[in-house]
Amino acid sequence: MSTGSLKAEAGIAGGDSAAGLPIAAAATVSRARTVWASWRGLVYQLAGIILAGLALLVWLLTADLSAIELRTLAPAALWVYTLEHLQLTLLAAVIVLVIAIPLGIALTRKPLRFLTAPVLAIANIGQAAPAVGVVVLLALWVGFSFWAATLSLVLYAVLPVLRNTMIGLDQVDARLVEAGRGMGMSATAVLFRVELPLAVPVMLSGVRTALVLLVGTAALATFINGGGLGILITTGVNLSLTTVLVTGALLVALLALLIDWVGRVVEHVARPKGL
Amino acid sequence: MWDFLGDRYEQILFSGWQHFSLVVQCLILATVIAVIIASLVYRSKGLTSVVNSVSAIGLTIPAFALIGLLIAPLGFGVTPAVIVVAFFAALPILRNAVVGLSGIAPSIVESARGIGMSRFRTLLQVELPMAWPIILTGVRVSAQMVMGIAAVAAYSLGPGLGGFIFSGLSRSGGANSLESVLTGVIGVIVLALILDLLLVGLGRLTIPRGIRV
Amino acid sequence: MSERNASTSPAPSAASTGITGASILLDHVTKRFPGQVHPAVDGLTMEIPAGKIVMFVGPSGCGKTTTLKMINRLIEPTEGRIVVDGDDVTEMNGDTLRRGIGYVIQAGGLFPHMTVATNIGIVPKMLGWDKARIAARVDELLELVSLDPALYRDRYPKELSGGQQQRVGVARALAADPPVLLMDEPFGAVDPITRLRLQDELLNIQDELQKTIVCVTHDFDEAVKLGDWIAIFNEGAQLEQYDTPERILGDPANEFVENFIGSGAGLKQLTLTRVEEVGLADAVIGNPGERAADVLARVAEAGHGHAVIVDDRHRPIQWLSRRKLGRLDLISAVPDPKLPVVGIRATLNDALDTMLVSSAGAALVTGRRDMFKGVIDVRTVMDAITRSQTAAVLESDKAPVGLNTGMFQAQASAAEAAEAELIGAESSSAQSSSAQSSSAQPIEADGSGADARAAQ
Ligand SMILES: Nc1ncnc2c1ncn2[C@@H]1O[C@H](COP(=O)(O)OP(=O)(O)OP(=O)(O)O)[C@@H](O)[C@H]1O
Ligand SMILES: [Mg+2]
Repeated sequence: MSTGSLKAEAGIAGGDSAAGLPIAAAATVSRARTVWASWRGLVYQLAGIILAGLALLVWLLTADLSAIELRTLAPAALWVYTLEHLQLTLLAAVIVLVIAIPLGIALTRKPLRFLTAPVLAIANIGQAAPAVGVVVLLALWVGFSFWAATLSLVLYAVLPVLRNTMIGLDQVDARLVEAGRGMGMSATAVLFRVELPLAVPVMLSGVRTALVLLVGTAALATFINGGGLGILITTGVNLSLTTVLVTGALLVALLALLIDWVGRVVEHVARPKGL
Repeated sequence: MWDFLGDRYEQILFSGWQHFSLVVQCLILATVIAVIIASLVYRSKGLTSVVNSVSAIGLTIPAFALIGLLIAPLGFGVTPAVIVVAFFAALPILRNAVVGLSGIAPSIVESARGIGMSRFRTLLQVELPMAWPIILTGVRVSAQMVMGIAAVAAYSLGPGLGGFIFSGLSRSGGANSLESVLTGVIGVIVLALILDLLLVGLGRLTIPRGIRV
Repeated sequence: MSERNASTSPAPSAASTGITGASILLDHVTKRFPGQVHPAVDGLTMEIPAGKIVMFVGPSGCGKTTTLKMINRLIEPTEGRIVVDGDDVTEMNGDTLRRGIGYVIQAGGLFPHMTVATNIGIVPKMLGWDKARIAARVDELLELVSLDPALYRDRYPKELSGGQQQRVGVARALAADPPVLLMDEPFGAVDPITRLRLQDELLNIQDELQKTIVCVTHDFDEAVKLGDWIAIFNEGAQLEQYDTPERILGDPANEFVENFIGSGAGLKQLTLTRVEEVGLADAVIGNPGERAADVLARVAEAGHGHAVIVDDRHRPIQWLSRRKLGRLDLISAVPDPKLPVVGIRATLNDALDTMLVSSAGAALVTGRRDMFKGVIDVRTVMDAITRSQTAAVLESDKAPVGLNTGMFQAQASAAEAAEAELIGAESSSAQSSSAQSSSAQPIEADGSGADARAAQ
């Protein structure tokens, strides 16, 4: 009787240790699987963008283009428009970051905390302003130029970054801040070592939203001589050049998707581990 | 400015009303489509994630680019404007509808089925009402976004306040160009606020008290 | 002033007894939050002795957390002084002060974006320790809180269970070896079983380190179990009673305290004493194989009702009444599975529990290796309670001082006289006089006493 139960126990123990290895192996496999799962969407998105870009290229190469279309869609010209577009977008983005992040931090500090809610409310209303209206208004005020375009882009994209910076900092568990202060970290140390790292995901998604908005809005810069890919759309419409119109629209869309992709990759990599 | 408004208040009111009704109709259409799609996909994990990526990617496409793409086959007029506005309106609603429907505790669905409700009835009487607050939030987000998009859509000579912006632009430097643009911008913001208030009111009326926050 | 500081700092002998904690004095401390009519903490004077665990209890919103946070000045007092280890820290840099005071909050308050090791190493890093020393300290602390360093060092908080997070929270608070540990409902977010284990662990750690621990809790049983001293607060941090668990249970200062303890004060008191601390009754012992009649004769001679049958290693296997013995012929070796047995380290509460379900109204006590030690019965328990009550009333001259302004002013002259020499003396005499006037016996005042009698 007792030896029987002993054997049974030994059997169970043996089974356990034998199962140990496969479990470990399964763990690495499943880890690889989760890594792939977390990157899969991004890989598909990039593949889709590249495929769409290639399709556009093939279509342009095989289409029967008129002389004026060929001139407008010359690779050099397209390259210049794209660079202008990126320049507008990135310049505006940098200015937005420089303004919105410190402002967002300042508005969530104690002395200015009371402003958080009103500023968020105003930001929400501002979001409803039509982008094209903001662009045109700014141009009428500053003059039709690259700088007017940049300024209106900044105005338009400051809101999501500011919003998400404030929300990101606001949603950090107050008890963690208190734990930090409680163990003797200064307010600045808590900001940089606890609050900002924990706000990074929300802030980055605000930055990505802003970048995508910027790419789209930069297409409107053409209305005020600000440059960019939008000129293909307006030229296409004005001169009834469908190929140019479609190329312009697709390039803007692909650029937006590409920027979105870059933003997602950055978010993915920069998200603090452990969240 | 006041002269401008005084001279054209009828035209402004008319365009404002057109703008508003374009947005509201598109929102209704978008809500119906989004809820139907969400009801079809929310039970499947794979389809849900496909729908979520579609709505995420759709939202990155610039409205102006989509208008350009639609003008090519459809020409100028109301149709491209409606499609663009409805398309963008549907995306946030779709996302929220899927989140709302799949967020309902399985135990609740199970108990509804347990008392003999059919699957469709469960969806209609239990799941959709419970997901409604989240769906309505999506509608509010859409409404804010689409108000501005409807202004850009005026580029295709569609209806609404966007016309004031583009006409101001085309007469830039000329008389009343600034007034015209300002009218368009402020008009859109005011409409957005009004619509948001209406939607909040709608929420009060339609969200059962038991799940109101 | 300086004289009083001297009197509240730990006695020189403290170091030799292994106490690493520091005494704390809240001196007429008041906190009035902006827009508040009644202060959250109203003129509180309270001495917290070095190396002891002081538990704060009281109804929600009474100012426990506020009082606790004023000690490390997370909340700045509106009036009054905070004195730690004889030094007035009210004007000191708050961050520097807090680096020297451990702080544990509910669910650990771990930073989710840092590994366990980084979390624990934060304060040492701020204090400028070098890497090797921090790493060694992290491992040492993880060992202390019973977590395998190799396994847990590099995990993120979300990869730990609630109880493990709480342990890391304690380890983090201990990182720089602070003399004082403040805990705000540290075990509030874990399940009851884990909570008991964490409490035991805290007691073990405290045995080793002898910090000064101030701990807020909502669980009065926890306060009784952990506290050397319990402070019971009312609205505005009015100190209703500040005394040992024994005396609070045995001699509640007023109705508020009685209500706060709730019913079952007597039963709670039982958790304070262990079986080994009370006298056990002897028993007639028999062995398997003996003739039952012989054993019965011995039982009758001793005037007992039962005989305990032990096996060859002196472990109890049966407990036979006279009636049973009378019906048996030979004593068998088959163990009785329902034998009422308690270990010698069990609390009287556990023992009583076992007794109540046994037909004999008593329980067998076993020591090391389950060897039979003796019998504990309800009367022994009652005697022990009575004795500890009397002892509690007498042994109160070491009580630390705790007063609010109102009380304090009423007794101002006496208190000042007391301050001049020994700060505890005056308050304790006041308490013991009140004790005599209201010497109700809690175990008979409530249902538990009746239960115990019914079981007899
Ligand atoms: N930051 C603050 N501002 C204003 N009032 C506060 C603040 N913190 C606490 N109070 C008030 O002070 C009083 C005491 O609060 P405290 O947090 O100390 O209570 P507590 O005893 O810890 O309660 P609980 O058991 O619920 O944790 C309460 O009335 C509370 O509303
Ligand atoms: Mg509290």
